[in-house]
Amino acid sequence: MAGSGIAAITRLAWLLTRRIALLAALLALVFAVVEALPGDAADATSERGESVADVERRRVLLGLDQPVAVRFLRWMAGLPSGDLGVSARGEPVLSLLAGPLPNTLLLGGLALAVTVVAALGLGCWAALRPGSMTDRVISASATAVLALPEFVIAVALVLVFALWAGLLPAATLAGPDGAPAAWSMLVLPVLALAIPQIGWNARIVRGALADEAKASHVAAAVLDGLPSRRILTHHLLPGALPAIAAGVATSTGMLLGGAVAVETIFNYPGVGALLAGAVADRDTPIIAGVVALTGVAITCVLLAADAIRAWAAGVRR
Amino acid sequence: MALLAACGGSGGSAPESAATTTAPAKPVSGGTLRIGALGRVSAITRDPHGTQANESDYLIISLIYDTLTAPGATENTAPRLAASWKADDDVKTWRFTLAQGATFHDGTPVTAEDVVWSLRRLRETPSGAARLPGIKTENIEADGDTVVLTSDYANADLPLLLRLTTFVMKKDTKEVADAPGSGPFKLEWYRDGNARLVRNDAWHGGEPYLDAIEVKIFESPQAMANALLGGQIDVASNVGAVAARTAAARPDVQVLRRPDDMAMPIVMRTAEGSPFADPKVREALRLAVDREAMVKQVLSGYGKVANDVLGTGDPAYAEDLPQRARDLARAKQLLQEAGFDLSKTYQLRTTEDIAGLAESAALFATQVREAGVQIEVVKEDSGTFWDKTWLKGDLYTTYWGTNDSVIFFSSKVMVTGAGQNEAAWSDAEFDETYKQAVGTLDETTRAQALRKIQEIQHARSGYLLWGMADGIDLAASTVRDLPKLPGYGRVQLERVWLARA
Repeated sequence: MAGSGIAAITRLAWLLTRRIALLAALLALVFAVVEALPGDAADATSERGESVADVERRRVLLGLDQPVAVRFLRWMAGLPSGDLGVSARGEPVLSLLAGPLPNTLLLGGLALAVTVVAALGLGCWAALRPGSMTDRVISASATAVLALPEFVIAVALVLVFALWAGLLPAATLAGPDGAPAAWSMLVLPVLALAIPQIGWNARIVRGALADEAKASHVAAAVLDGLPSRRILTHHLLPGALPAIAAGVATSTGMLLGGAVAVETIFNYPGVGALLAGAVADRDTPIIAGVVALTGVAITCVLLAADAIRAWAAGVRR
Repeated sequence: MALLAACGGSGGSAPESAATTTAPAKPVSGGTLRIGALGRVSAITRDPHGTQANESDYLIISLIYDTLTAPGATENTAPRLAASWKADDDVKTWRFTLAQGATFHDGTPVTAEDVVWSLRRLRETPSGAARLPGIKTENIEADGDTVVLTSDYANADLPLLLRLTTFVMKKDTKEVADAPGSGPFKLEWYRDGNARLVRNDAWHGGEPYLDAIEVKIFESPQAMANALLGGQIDVASNVGAVAARTAAARPDVQVLRRPDDMAMPIVMRTAEGSPFADPKVREALRLAVDREAMVKQVLSGYGKVANDVLGTGDPAYAEDLPQRARDLARAKQLLQEAGFDLSKTYQLRTTEDIAGLAESAALFATQVREAGVQIEVVKEDSGTFWDKTWLKGDLYTTYWGTNDSVIFFSSKVMVTGAGQNEAAWSDAEFDETYKQAVGTLDETTRAQALRKIQEIQHARSGYLLWGMADGIDLAASTVRDLPKLPGYGRVQLERVWLARA
């Protein structure tokens, strides 16, 4: 028992190291890609009428005269102490992210929660009646929506629920604390993000349950005459859990990626707008800051998924 | 209009019920105006003297802080913190008298020392030389309660150049973000580009009508229009023609047009080595463009035809210059006379910085093909364009948001050696006339020079100005007296009021 505990910790530490190395490589890539884009932050944020000498002065001020490797290492050196550098317009990146990042995590987190609940519900419902009308309708709709881009869903939701029916707000406005001013403003953005992922995950749940149903212990339980709900919760789901956890983990990245598009349509006060603007401005510290912090968030979800898989595997043994 | 007046009167709460219904409604105090403005979170600046890229930031700053002068309707320069100004005979030294009773939001009076400190701070910013042209830091001084600015050269238009960024803070302000201003509204809170401001009862320009203004930042015009149509905001500032078309069918939404808001000229490089160096070639292109079609298609009709003279909103704009219209035969003839190489394809560089710009380039290319000129449109991303093409390219689109002054453009982009001479134009007669115009306080001499400046521009500058885009705001039916001025004039909200619904 103790041996397996140490092994698990070692495994976790190894996983963590790998994920951190991956994140560092990603950040290096961010610096390299922005460097490869034409123009730099000093040009992009200059005012009309600023002379070449003035732009050059600001370039030195921003440290952009240094080689990209030096700038990367300097930026990385600040990371452990929570220093994400300064934007091209002189605002500390951490304070620029302080409002938008929690909002995006809230949006992504809610969408993830809705995805998990809805996908599990729909997947189980369909799996309990294999081949039935319900099963076919759920599977067909899941396939249909998983291919829809988030912005198409977002625009449709705004048209129907905000502009025609007037039931929900079309735009998300921030209150004095920087968070969405009302809960009702979260409904449409969360749905726009979650709907394709629900489709994707409902199919995974349905498929994993179907695979699991072929296992001998399930057949035995059915022969024992156990009620189908008990078979689902005690015999099917535990076995299907690793596959479901992997599917949800994949969705995390998709959700945060889709958030950028959805935020623009709803004017949601998240990192999407910040990121888009920063790319236009060649503002590397902001881009790297967003990548680092969302990377940490995704890593946490992936680790949780790994833990669930390890736990489920342990239960089965 | 009649409908709106009727709506305003039907509230029944109007105290002057005896007045006839046709009289213009009397402004009432009170209410909170929720106004949306465009901005990017990544580009937020709170420094009044910083690089203002966001309309939302500029709006908030303009409500909190006063500039020395401001854009006006009848005269293009109106008083603000400076009540009056006067130049010495050499037109180099200018004296600005501050408004009576101007105080900062913390109650301390605004002194000439505060203004001098603020202007010097502005002058020391990286683009300070462009913002206070011809004024060295040490030539900004206080003399009792007047502020004295001494220009390096005679400049009759100095007050005009002080309209947009001369925001005044208290002397020695360290924390700029929440520093008190002397403007019509006081900051209550600010967060990530959104803000709430409340009325400054002690404002020197008279008490504003609104109790409060809430500014909401929007990344896209589409989301801003949706928020307005859904009743989440009362005004969508500078939201554009697309939104106006959507809203046109809604009787409960006002579509407000501010003429002369945006110029999107095509720049033809005039310097040696450019294919457009010959004035005949430039004239030919100006004759090949179909201006009516450009306004109709690029601006959705929300604009008007222009005549290749920049500064169309200037009270001194020469309306009577002959309007250049499409003449393909003459264009072809001029191209032939100039020996223009019609076998080549020329590149027209553009960006998507503002709505309609890239579309204008594409339509222009289609139109001039009928005169035999082959143009390929190259869409560049903003960073590349400003870095590589602007001021250097042979043929490109540009845009300007301050269009109420002929002199402003002359000094910025046309006079020989101007820092932003986009077409590399150099014309001895133009330079001479420009000097005359800015070197005199005599109204007649100045008027004549202004007229001649425009004639020369019309005849041979490097600009093809096909039209002027309206600024477009959407507003709820209760909003009254929104500013009608183009460009930065749209931020003057102190006279806005809300009719009781």
